[in-house]
Amino acid sequence: MNTEKIMNCERKSFQKIIKFRLPHRFMMIGISIVLLSIVGMFVRAFAMEGDSDWLKLLLQKTLLVGMLIMSMSKDKIEDEMTVALRAQSYAIGFVVGVIYALVMPYVEFGVSNLVHSGGENFKNLGDFQVLLFMLMIQLMFYHNLKRYR
Amino acid sequence: MENTIKIERAILSLTQDDLAKRIGVSRQTINSIEANRYVPSTVLSLKLSNVFGKPVNDFFKLNAED
Repeated sequence: MNTEKIMNCERKSFQKIIKFRLPHRFMMIGISIVLLSIVGMFVRAFAMEGDSDWLKLLLQKTLLVGMLIMSMSKDKIEDEMTVALRAQSYAIGFVVGVIYALVMPYVEFGVSNLVHSGGENFKNLGDFQVLLFMLMIQLMFYHNLKRYR
Repeated sequence: MENTIKIERAILSLTQDDLAKRIGVSRQTINSIEANRYVPSTVLSLKLSNVFGKPVNDFFKLNAED
């Protein structure tokens, strides 16, 4: 196999990865996982007693997985315009997510110290908060872009 | 870019939905192309060209901004 064939093979597999989308039925599966995770979070917070931090972490992960499945599933009619809109929404989600991760800790710190003097110490955002925000922005922008196309 | 897809569609008595089904896109995509909110790819333009039986240049025109 010469170099050109290897490059073509790599290019094809790279294109396959880029174009990978889940079938449309996964949208409902994603929504169900998200709803179940949210219900689980409420149940854990208000109806469960004792140490359930493991459940909190598990539900955070399932919420993110559900949103990722929603984000990656195809539309009923997937065409080049929906592909372009999805790419735009990922770009917006990424940029807004980075700005959020940079700015939000200072906002939280400032507000906390304004409300009660000597409030919370400065702390960075956790991965769950940033990823949740990015996925929310991506899904929201994608559906808005589709609505106003 | 400007286009006369709406006119070409009217000549063939096609609705947006008919045209969308013929070239395998959604009705909203046709609507966006007609309203100049979306510039289609070369592949989609050639599919439109096949349906209208005309070269792409006949229904897509560059304007001063392009």
